[in-house]
Amino acid sequence: MREFGIFDVLTMLWAVQWTAALVVIALIFGAPLGLLLAQMRTSSNKVLNLIALCILQIVQGVPLLAMLMFFYFGMPMFLGVQMPALVSVGVVFSIFAAAFLGEIWRGGIQAVHTAQSEAAACLGLTKWQGFRYVVAPQAFKIALPATVGFLVQLIKNTSLASVVGFVELARAGQLASAATFQPLMSYACVAAIYFAICFPLTHWSRSLENKLNGAR
Amino acid sequence: MALVEINNVRKTFGELEVLKGVTIEVEKGEIVTIIGRSGSGKSTLLRCINGLEQIDSGEIRIGEQVVHAKSTDLRKLRQHVGIVFQQFNLFPHMSVERNITLAPILAGRVQKGAAARELALKVLTQVGLAEKIDAYPEQLSGGQQQRVAIARCLAMSPDLMLFDEVTSALDPELVGEVLKVMEDLARQGMTMILVTHEMGFARNVASKIVFMHAGKVHEQGPPAELFANPATPELQNFISSTR
Ligand SMILES: Nc1ncnc2c1ncn2[C@@H]1O[C@H](COP(=O)(O)OP(=O)(O)O)[C@@H](O)[C@H]1O
Ligand SMILES: [Mg+2]
Repeated sequence: MREFGIFDVLTMLWAVQWTAALVVIALIFGAPLGLLLAQMRTSSNKVLNLIALCILQIVQGVPLLAMLMFFYFGMPMFLGVQMPALVSVGVVFSIFAAAFLGEIWRGGIQAVHTAQSEAAACLGLTKWQGFRYVVAPQAFKIALPATVGFLVQLIKNTSLASVVGFVELARAGQLASAATFQPLMSYACVAAIYFAICFPLTHWSRSLENKLNGAR
Repeated sequence: MALVEINNVRKTFGELEVLKGVTIEVEKGEIVTIIGRSGSGKSTLLRCINGLEQIDSGEIRIGEQVVHAKSTDLRKLRQHVGIVFQQFNLFPHMSVERNITLAPILAGRVQKGAAARELALKVLTQVGLAEKIDAYPEQLSGGQQQRVAIARCLAMSPDLMLFDEVTSALDPELVGEVLKVMEDLARQGMTMILVTHEMGFARNVASKIVFMHAGKVHEQGPPAELFANPATPELQNFISSTR
């Protein structure tokens, strides 16, 4: 056994890059998918709408932990190959981000949708041009506070990846705790790092919200 | 040949038949004013004319184009048919210049930059708002916003303009400036179909008044005749209720 020390803190800080990697992966794949879901949910096509709704219901109705277990332990049985933890965890967080961002952005799009996209159509813009130049910029502004708020949720939720052995910040804390038998110090340190990352974001989200409400 | 031919158009929303066989002709340069009670289908008719709404039967033709034909590119059609709504519907996140030039730029009518700005200035001058070119919609009064909305249509050099109660959402003291812009347009020979409750304007500017009632054209004719000798009790009632 050894003392909890600077080495453990550095290891945790080093592990933050894997937390960050998960967040980045989730956003890179989840954001376009979320945009697609939001488009489907606001389209006049009933079939597309229903498909999107089903996907959203499933993702929002299944605990993230269960999805992680399913993709890490369940899928390999089905596919017959063990995927690296980063892949299965990345897939799960991408789906998670897509579903939540999709709903957040749908709200933003709907807030500006009908009259504004009609005005765009009446000027001879294509549907895509109307979305790109007229609806999206306004929807983005409306949805930004909630999007940043979701980012905080996402960062905190990546800690769940530790259950399948993926070494990110929370898992690094567990390892330090096991090696030093100092859970209090270890987990306090983990919490402090999460807080240091999330607090500015929460603060930013709140000030965006105030600005938005003030502007209206 | 009339520029616009609306021929026996029917339109239902679910169970509700809103247009029950509407027939109207509009010659080039004519100002056709549609009047009628709220709910009589005036807005629906305008929305059918530029293809925002499908129709159940009948036909609408603008120039060579049959609006609801499968082969019609509505996007192209709308580049020649402007519409102005009661609620302005300017793009709030864009400057006046950008509001006006977005569509012409995307349609390839004008180059981004100096040429686009010149176009914006030209149409803003037509509505008397050249000095507001860099303003944002929220900095303008309702009357000014509506004039920008009209300028935005003009920038596409439409062959036909539709106006749906464009002064109804305005404070009374701002109505005049918008009507004046429309009068100028009428004088310059713009073909217009407009729905309005401004009877004075209809009387002075319209070449033809169409009175819609219960989803049909109940009566139509030149304003002088129609207002002086309404043939049906419905129109008599309507006229006396607007005095
Ligand atoms: N999208 C719609 N869905 C269902 N009913 C509609 C829709 N648009 C209009 N209506 C109905 O059609 C009728 C005519 O409406 P409208 O054309 O707006 O009349 P007006 O402009 O003459 O007041 C009204 O009864 C209205 O409730
Ligand atoms: Mg109406």
